[in-house]
Amino acid sequence: MKVIRKTAFYIVASLIALQFLVPMVWMILSSFKIDSVIYRDISTIYAVVPRFGDLTLKSYQELLSMYNVFRNVLNSLIYASVTVLAGLTVNSLAGYALARFHFPFKNAILLFIIALMIVPVEAIILPLYLVVHELGMINTLAGYLIPFFVNVMNIFLFRQHFLSFPEELIEAAKVDGLTEFGSYWRIVVPASLPMFVSVGILTFIGSWNDFLWPVMAITKSDLMPVQVALNAIFSDTYNIFTSHMMAALTIVTIPIIVLYALFQRHIIEGAVRSGIK
Amino acid sequence: MFKQYKWQEVVTAYAFLLMALLLAVLFIVLPIGKAINYSFTDYYLLKPHERQFIGFDNYQRIFTDDLFRKTFLNTVKFVVFVVPIQLTMALVLALIVNRKVKGVEFFRTAYFSPAVLSLVVISILWTVLLNPDSGLINEVLTALGLSPQPFLTSSSQAMYTIVMISAWSGCGYQMMIFLAGLSNIDSSQYEAAELDGCGSLRKFRYITLPGLKPITMFLVITTTIQAFKLIVQPMVMTGGGPDYSTMTILQYIYEYGYRHRNIGYASAITVVFTVFLIVVSVLIKKLFREEKA
Repeated sequence: MKVIRKTAFYIVASLIALQFLVPMVWMILSSFKIDSVIYRDISTIYAVVPRFGDLTLKSYQELLSMYNVFRNVLNSLIYASVTVLAGLTVNSLAGYALARFHFPFKNAILLFIIALMIVPVEAIILPLYLVVHELGMINTLAGYLIPFFVNVMNIFLFRQHFLSFPEELIEAAKVDGLTEFGSYWRIVVPASLPMFVSVGILTFIGSWNDFLWPVMAITKSDLMPVQVALNAIFSDTYNIFTSHMMAALTIVTIPIIVLYALFQRHIIEGAVRSGIK
Repeated sequence: MFKQYKWQEVVTAYAFLLMALLLAVLFIVLPIGKAINYSFTDYYLLKPHERQFIGFDNYQRIFTDDLFRKTFLNTVKFVVFVVPIQLTMALVLALIVNRKVKGVEFFRTAYFSPAVLSLVVISILWTVLLNPDSGLINEVLTALGLSPQPFLTSSSQAMYTIVMISAWSGCGYQMMIFLAGLSNIDSSQYEAAELDGCGSLRKFRYITLPGLKPITMFLVITTTIQAFKLIVQPMVMTGGGPDYSTMTILQYIYEYGYRHRNIGYASAITVVFTVFLIVVSVLIKKLFREEKA
């Protein structure tokens, strides 16, 4: 009975796993084929099972000769890294102040932060565009990046985290002559590293995957992040074959797959944490 | 009245908070103010000096605008289908992988994996897979003896196709949260129920479901709000077509305000939409509370 149940579990779970994995496997495999091979294989098992004689880097070479995808990848790497570093600094400092210090209007500020958490950011994307436009910062990196440094959800998560941070550690650091910022930087941040890593990774993925804001804030092709560039390539139906498109999708997805493989536990913990609190 | 505070601590606190507050005011509060302000004008972005106050005209226009009504109904249709489908899929997946057996981590990872892909990648990939002439999905359907479908190219199927793709890509995330909820249910409850001779269905009905209620409420709210903000999938896959059948409210705002530079009217829709989303999340919360009482 137990063996049957176990076998049933593996069969059902594997069949479901196929639904999730087949599209991605097909994407990656097709990026290493030429179109005639993709469509020859499409109704056979070889659509998702590699035959090494068929694999080639031709689609990557052709794609990269038509589009400077690496430029967009580099842009996105820079944008995401800056957003992570600035975002962690701004939001963790604010969360720390709200958790640890006593100061006038503290409750009012906390309420303000919680109220802003209800505001659906995408819904106000047009007036945000207008603000950046009126500041003359469309098509500038500052105008594109700075609005998303602050994340009220992350301020709140950091506050919750720091509330349970042992006070004695900070007091001890102050006895040793550290300033408030010194004890934050040398004691609190290192001791909270897992928290910073998981918020940071999720911020990175969010920035890497963002589409709506960059479409509005960046129209110059040499500044475009990867997702906008992908959409532009996808619209270029005259020159682009399926194999080229799959190569582009694979290039854009690889950094995320690497991150996911390295930080899987942090990503899932972070997703659940921002989900539950 | 401020005597109980140490001035040094107050200065430090505000120094720590300064950047966050400044940015929040500049890029969240100010946009909301601008949207309200411009919603009472005929602001056309390319002619900022001819901007005139026109009272509630934009708001009146919303209620007589057939295309707005269509995008609103499209969005509601998406929400009504995607929320129950996606959450049911997530719950079923969570129940399947909520066990301690070898290899279960692999399955969790596999189900969660589309959640880290970008919506643009997912949308492009599925547009190719669902191509009516040469896509993988129609090849599979034909091989199974079924007739090929038009999917995204048909105004009657496109929105449901987007529903399924969204549920496919998003359910792994909710599965993880359901899993966290399941692990919080006290296992002694199940043992007691077993002693009383309860079968698995009754245990599910009387222990699992009530135990998951707070998390379900949270997921219904967040998934509903998220679903109302649908835009990337139709923008990339269908451009809102065919025949406006997949154009959503947010995309309508984007088209009017960004593409056509018609700020006044798009701002009015922004205000209505933002208020609407806040009301919806409050209402769902109330609904769950009343049911509890």
